[in-house]
Amino acid sequence: MTQALLAFLTIVVGVAGCLGYFWASNLLLDKVLFPARGPNAGQNINRANLLRPWLFLFPAVVALGLYLAYPVFATLWLSLNRNQSGELVFVGLDNYRTMFGEAKFRESLRNNMVWLIVVPAASTAFGLLAAQLTDRIRWGNLAKSMIFMPMAISFVGASVIWKLIYDTREAGQPQIGLLNALWMQADGGFFSILILKVLPVVLLVGIAAGILWFLWAQIRDFADGGIWGKVLRGLGVLVGAWLVFVALSWAWGAATAMLPYGKPQFWLQIPFWNNFFLMAVLIWLQTGFAMVILSAALRGVPEETVEAAILDGANPFQIFFKIKVPQIMGTIVVVWTTITITVLKVFDIVRAMTGGQQETQVLANYMYEKLFVAVDWGVGSASAMIILLLVSPILVWNVYSARKEMR
Amino acid sequence: MKTRRLASAAALAVLAGTAHAQDLKFPPGEDARFNWDSFKAFDEATNLDGQTLNIFGPWRGEDQVLVESMLAYFTAASGVTVNYSSSEGYEQQIVIDAEAGSPPDVAVLPQPGLIGDLVAKGFVVPLGDATKQWLTDNYGAGASWAALGTYKGKDGAEQLFAFPYKADVKSLVWYSPENFEDAGYTVPATMEELMALTDKIVADGGTPWCIGLGSGGATGWPATDWVEDFMLRTQPPEVYDRWVTNALPFNSPEVVGAIDAFGSIAKNDAYVAGGAAAVASTDFRDSPKGLFSSPPACYMHRQASFIPSFFPEGTELGTDADFFYFPAYAEKDLGQPVLGAGTLAFIMKDSPAAQAFIEWLKTPIAHEVWMNQTGFVTPHKGVNTDLYGSAALKKQGEILANATTFRFDASDLMPGAVGAGSFWTGMVDFVGGKSAQEVADTIQGSWPK
Amino acid sequence: MENIAGKKPALVWVVHVSVGLLVLLWIIPTLGLLVSSFRSGDQIVSSGWWKALFTQEQQLSPIRLAGQEAERDGMFVVEGQLFTTASTVSAWGTSSRDPAVNEPGQTVGLADGQTLAVNADGTFILTSPVTTEGTRLPRVFTTASTPPEFTLNNYRTVLFSPLAGQSIFQAFMNTATVAIPATIIPILIAAFAAYALAWMDFKGRALLIAAIVGLLVVPLQLALIPLLQLHNGVASTLNGWFGLEGTNALQGKGYLGIWLAHTGFGLPLAIYLLRNYMVGLPRDIIENAKVDGATDFQIFTKIILPLSFPALASFAIFQFLWTWNDLLVALVFLGTSNDQQVLTGNIVNLMGSRGGDWEILSASAFVSIAVPLAVFFSMQRFLVRGLLSGSVK
Repeated sequence: MTQALLAFLTIVVGVAGCLGYFWASNLLLDKVLFPARGPNAGQNINRANLLRPWLFLFPAVVALGLYLAYPVFATLWLSLNRNQSGELVFVGLDNYRTMFGEAKFRESLRNNMVWLIVVPAASTAFGLLAAQLTDRIRWGNLAKSMIFMPMAISFVGASVIWKLIYDTREAGQPQIGLLNALWMQADGGFFSILILKVLPVVLLVGIAAGILWFLWAQIRDFADGGIWGKVLRGLGVLVGAWLVFVALSWAWGAATAMLPYGKPQFWLQIPFWNNFFLMAVLIWLQTGFAMVILSAALRGVPEETVEAAILDGANPFQIFFKIKVPQIMGTIVVVWTTITITVLKVFDIVRAMTGGQQETQVLANYMYEKLFVAVDWGVGSASAMIILLLVSPILVWNVYSARKEMR
Repeated sequence: MKTRRLASAAALAVLAGTAHAQDLKFPPGEDARFNWDSFKAFDEATNLDGQTLNIFGPWRGEDQVLVESMLAYFTAASGVTVNYSSSEGYEQQIVIDAEAGSPPDVAVLPQPGLIGDLVAKGFVVPLGDATKQWLTDNYGAGASWAALGTYKGKDGAEQLFAFPYKADVKSLVWYSPENFEDAGYTVPATMEELMALTDKIVADGGTPWCIGLGSGGATGWPATDWVEDFMLRTQPPEVYDRWVTNALPFNSPEVVGAIDAFGSIAKNDAYVAGGAAAVASTDFRDSPKGLFSSPPACYMHRQASFIPSFFPEGTELGTDADFFYFPAYAEKDLGQPVLGAGTLAFIMKDSPAAQAFIEWLKTPIAHEVWMNQTGFVTPHKGVNTDLYGSAALKKQGEILANATTFRFDASDLMPGAVGAGSFWTGMVDFVGGKSAQEVADTIQGSWPK
Repeated sequence: MENIAGKKPALVWVVHVSVGLLVLLWIIPTLGLLVSSFRSGDQIVSSGWWKALFTQEQQLSPIRLAGQEAERDGMFVVEGQLFTTASTVSAWGTSSRDPAVNEPGQTVGLADGQTLAVNADGTFILTSPVTTEGTRLPRVFTTASTPPEFTLNNYRTVLFSPLAGQSIFQAFMNTATVAIPATIIPILIAAFAAYALAWMDFKGRALLIAAIVGLLVVPLQLALIPLLQLHNGVASTLNGWFGLEGTNALQGKGYLGIWLAHTGFGLPLAIYLLRNYMVGLPRDIIENAKVDGATDFQIFTKIILPLSFPALASFAIFQFLWTWNDLLVALVFLGTSNDQQVLTGNIVNLMGSRGGDWEILSASAFVSIAVPLAVFFSMQRFLVRGLLSGSVK
């Protein structure tokens, strides 16, 4: 019980201390340092107002500097050094060279790229779908909270939940993993061909078509915007074209693959595809977040624009894609970037489910292993800097839009 | 109010007192087989009342109950209050704590390689030559145990830094005696017989082996034991020693041969339950359960002495499950090599209590309390071997005693980047289909320069 | 929207069905674990959780006979019951090679003149010419149908077993001790800072906002060791000042440290969310208050704080979920002794020592997510409201 008391005391002291600090420092500023009285009253008020924001900001700035900014620089410094029997020796970019020479690192870089494309895209897409659909029905709120529920589950808990789904027993024994139980139902008949061949091909071709539509829009508007806009569009077109190629080749692969019907599958061991089974966990966790925010944004779309479109004879799909989606583009970008950041930071899922083996390594787990298993701080910090480098476009974009907003 | 609080404090003290007495599993002086003299002598020599000692170790769950039963005697004899703690990722925890400057007073780790890393960075206090001499004199094969705890310190001098306490025998094959009886199989005495039995089980329509490499973030480690066991059975111990220090490169033919020997079992769909694909994904804690299923999923399971903790509840050792020595090739004439492991205690923050704890580990009673329960084998020569808690433990003690060669788990001796990194992942890749040479090349490439 | 839907009833049905499918897809994983946590270990591994409501026929693991021996007509008889649950035997055997060779009720001769009969209800009679005292009784393999059965035993094991080295209740308290202050303190600090960034004019404001937005993306892992070093350094310096060298009066690892760490890590999001919300508050209210002579401090406490309640609540829920579910930060900044080990750490330990046991895993996973789920379901209204204002512009 002493512990509960301690916690309670901390809350009281902490809250009182915070409030006390703000109150007392304001008092000090107004009554003692620069009293709004006497000959210099006007000047004093101005001075006090110059200082006051910093009083309000002081605790936050100190905490941020100490707990987030300082570690960034400490890590940068560590990444340029090697620990030789307790002494730091400056080695320049040696750690980075070692790291790029490692197959495991290149593997995690490659996997992270796939994660960065698939998870935000899928979470946002599912979120958008769920948001649009649940807004139109009476039990929508119930449905929303069901989809949102995984947000409350820890990564440890989520890993257990999904391990049960991916579990594999020998052929002949009852499968207790849902995925394998379903898989064992597939026998190459009409339904399994419909679900395992036709459906994926349709989905992939659909995705490719969607990207193509986006590409066309970019090319059409290519003349707009400044030089940077052109560069960005050009890059977007290149990436998009590559994605279309990938989606179509997968569709071809799905259509022609010989599926091992009747054999229980080890989902987390199928090279390359096991990454997608891990991603499913994070998509499951993040879709609710995307849905809630996008649903609010959809509600914010002015009714008049929608009604005008209806009067013009637009069908629901046209309304959704041509009227609503463009209007909530800003929110979609926010959701996308937030999930991107989560993807780069998350390592618990990979750690708990495969330990980064069978070619599922990702950067965050690679870094953790370098830091705490191999005790190689140089390379560990170097990989941390790579993660930071990967998020920096988002960082720059965030900073840019924050500044734009200020103007 | 005040009196009431005092009263409850007194009640607490009384409670603590009784709890304390109950903590001692075997009342001192009662069972004459125990070496109570050593307990009394330590009690009289040590008086550190009021001091505390933080010990961090690898034992959790049932093992934690066991180690705490031993620590209770230390507390009773020395007056030192012990805080024992552990965590699932204890290897990482100790690194984090050491680097950040908040290490425990005493740490216990099963990885000599990791202790070597910590020693090299100056985080460990040397134990002194007297203790080294004591180990050499009082442990069976004492010199090799002392060598295990000896590392090059930050100043470059070799000294004893860690005290081996508790051993594990790894070269064991577990089986269900009744399943063997039902099928008419006998325990093989040589590797040739073992391989013949393997083929016979397949011919009879059964599956010989259960192998599971899954272990969360440490997936792959059980395979390293297999490879080490085959190293000891195909190569002389000197080669093994050179392999551990990388004087013999990981991708040399000797090592590749041992990996392939493991592969001849693990990568053969007919030999392993669930086929080769199941090996890497089955959890090592889950895989022995195949021995006891109906019909049996497999007949044999090679794993260290700790594995009975993961047998189905109610499994009785000796009746429902038993083990035999993972035999050596008769034709190779390499004797009876035994692969083992163990835990080593070392001081990270020096204090009289920490020193007293190392002294305590030298007393026979510190070993006997645990060995009379379960899961504890010791090389201490001064203990009464009648105290081994079960026939199984005694048999393991005998395997240890009969060994012509005893070698410590190589992956625990190698640097963390290999022994707890690329060796594990390499084995998973190997079982997943890569060739032994390919995997060995990758592991050699990851060896820290 | 409704008018379109009203025109096309088919479309409404498509929407209902798709939402239904989506919801199903999203709750099935959790549901599977929930159902499994109420089943016994044997049941979990012998049939999928979706079959939990049906009678299962399957081969059971061998059961060793046990019972009181009695002497009858010169024979030694052991009678007993194989099952603890109401199962029905359809076939049985005593050899792993032929586990289903005998019919229920059949009497079979074994080695050494023993005979054994197993009935459909699981009762058995073993007769032996010599006493079985001190010998190993045979095992019985059964194929039996077991009615659906649910048990609370898994939760009992998880909550009260000493295997994790501590009671889960203690871990629960520890987690609460970490999570509650670590939720409240950053809110206060962030609220003041957000107010300054939203409604006060000063040089460098834009830069500061940009910096905070930038810090949102810093990966946590890289901050751990420098910070723990810092905590330990501060603790030992303070020990020095108070003349407590050599003792552990103040430690780098402890609750104070983890509160501060969670505060630091949570601040960027808190400031970002709260500032975005506060910027959206009507300007007139604040300007009117200023005209009336209110100070910034008064405006903040009397007007801004109450108006920002949804944003405060939503961040509080976020931060609470995050601190409650956290494992990594707790591993680094807190010890692992009984009075500091948190719930997630305890569960992970339990997984380590009972890794293959689904019944333990599922029950412990549910224990760990119970509180976050409860918090989430009771507070989700606030969460949604606050989030919306924070990130939708």
